[in-house]
Amino acid sequence: MRRVLAIARNTFREAVRNKILYSLLFFAVLLILSALALGSLSLHEDVRMTRDVGLFGIDAFGVLIAIFVGVNLLYKELDLKTVYTILPKPLHRWEFVLGKWLGMLMTLAVQLAVMGLVLGLTLVAQDASFDLAMAKALWLLYLNVIVVTSIAVFFSAFSSPFLSGFFALGCFIVGRAVPDLRALGKASGGVARILFEAGCTVVPNLHLFYPSGAIVGAQVASIHRDFVGADYMIWTTLYGLGYSLVVLILAMLIFRKRDFV
Amino acid sequence: MRADALAKTFRLGFFRKRVEAVRDVGFDVNRGEVFGFLGPNGAGKTTTLKMLMGLVFPTRGRAEVFGLPVPSLAAKRRLGYLPETPYFYDYLSPEEFLDLVGALSDVPPVERRKRRDRLISRVGLDHARGRPLRKFSKGMLQRVGIAQALMGEPELVVFDEPMTGLDPVGRKEIRDLILELRAEGRTVFYSTHILTDVELTCDRVAMVFAGTIRSVGPLGELLSARLLSTEVCLRPGAQGLPPLPAGASQHRAVEGVAVNLPEGTDVDAFLSAALAVGAHVLSVSSHKESLEDLFIREAAQA
Ligand SMILES: Nc1ncnc2c1ncn2[C@@H]1O[C@H](COP(=O)(O)OP(=O)(O)OP(=O)(O)O)[C@@H](O)[C@H]1O
Ligand SMILES: [Mg+2]
Repeated sequence: MRRVLAIARNTFREAVRNKILYSLLFFAVLLILSALALGSLSLHEDVRMTRDVGLFGIDAFGVLIAIFVGVNLLYKELDLKTVYTILPKPLHRWEFVLGKWLGMLMTLAVQLAVMGLVLGLTLVAQDASFDLAMAKALWLLYLNVIVVTSIAVFFSAFSSPFLSGFFALGCFIVGRAVPDLRALGKASGGVARILFEAGCTVVPNLHLFYPSGAIVGAQVASIHRDFVGADYMIWTTLYGLGYSLVVLILAMLIFRKRDFV
Repeated sequence: MRADALAKTFRLGFFRKRVEAVRDVGFDVNRGEVFGFLGPNGAGKTTTLKMLMGLVFPTRGRAEVFGLPVPSLAAKRRLGYLPETPYFYDYLSPEEFLDLVGALSDVPPVERRKRRDRLISRVGLDHARGRPLRKFSKGMLQRVGIAQALMGEPELVVFDEPMTGLDPVGRKEIRDLILELRAEGRTVFYSTHILTDVELTCDRVAMVFAGTIRSVGPLGELLSARLLSTEVCLRPGAQGLPPLPAGASQHRAVEGVAVNLPEGTDVDAFLSAALAVGAHVLSVSSHKESLEDLFIREAAQA
């Protein structure tokens, strides 16, 4: 575990010293803030607005940064040939992948925390508070980011950053639409139905992590009311982590067989 | 360390064109020796080393380190490797990088710091210890690479072309370092095509041409001991030069004339003849087969 943590720590350090990530985060915060400023000019219910726009912004930028990090940080090791130095050290290849992944999760946690903090401060400035519902929503967005990162890492274990990014983004878009696609599948028949079902089984149901407006239990989940219950949080957390681990293990298996030339 | 009939075929591009990078490479490296792995560009040295380090899986054959199959943690714990292309995390300083390597090699923190400082001095990077590697020159990176290979105090050190990118002083330092490592009881295996370095440091060598081993053995045995030619430098005397024996040639040297006597000439007789005509003998040097001659002879046969 010490070796995994050493890799994770170094990955985190790499991200911290990476200027692109800073600028992305800065840009994200700026964009979210300006959207909030615009919104509060035009609408009365600015607290509602802040919550909705803020979470939407964190979600969008979180996924973007997750894909960027997931696709680049592992690929860079191969491209810049740093693996030649690291893998002959006394560590397993899977420990290396796990370490990279944990380092990415640490990086993304900090990114999300910074965006969450900005949102929280905005709410406080509007005499509202960063309540439990917001904390839950933010945790779900982090889970979403973990799943997307794992998918990006999986693709980057065998393809170029561009393709990996493309596939990961595709998975995200399809994943968010899983309930709709399921419904569409049920409505159509025959081969289409089987294809839709199969697709929805492989692609993660990312809609679970952005439940605002969805029917959860008997009522509509809303960030402005109770949001979702504890059991929903637990199950979704297990689902997100479980899916990520499966994808990560697949990435490790691919990595295990690779020639590093 | 043992390579047992290693072979690697790469497949390239859409048509899966076969590239036989390594065809048949086998040798044993004994404990405590300095082993040179020679071959021209593209002969398959780096590919062989990568198979021995577990970075590339052989198509055929087996690689073993300390009798353990590659790649196993137990084997990797006892070796240090310098890759051909010394690219490291360029956002780290040598201190941070060696610290990371130490952590991966399970060196406890206090010992890690000591060892790291010692190694940085040993490779002569004291002045740049805190600078990010991004700002390092090629030769400096090569030194960082050597330091990181030694961080785990390995019994076996494997260097892929350790002298490239180094200035003459740096090359000599690495040669001395290799001999020091041997004196410490470590085994050193390195690939190169700089033959003088090999003659000065290696106990045994293996030569690889086009993916196939041509000769393995102690340097002394590989180089035929017979005298190839003798060169005599003379300053002509009052009566000029003695008559040249059959097959000899002469050309102007810095002072006087250099006479090249082929194998089998009676050198003593020629020297007496030279003295008899009043010539001054400036120097006599004998030419045995050099590693370069052997290398070129093998390359021509390959
Ligand atoms: N990834 C690869 N795909 C296809 N061919 C490769 C690959 N890597 C190496 N080769 C080929 O294998 C052969 C051996 O390459 P290798 O790098 O092992 O040579 P080398 O002896 O280390 O040469 P040098 O002295 O230039 O470093 C070359 O012909 C090279 O073109
Ligand atoms: Mg090479």
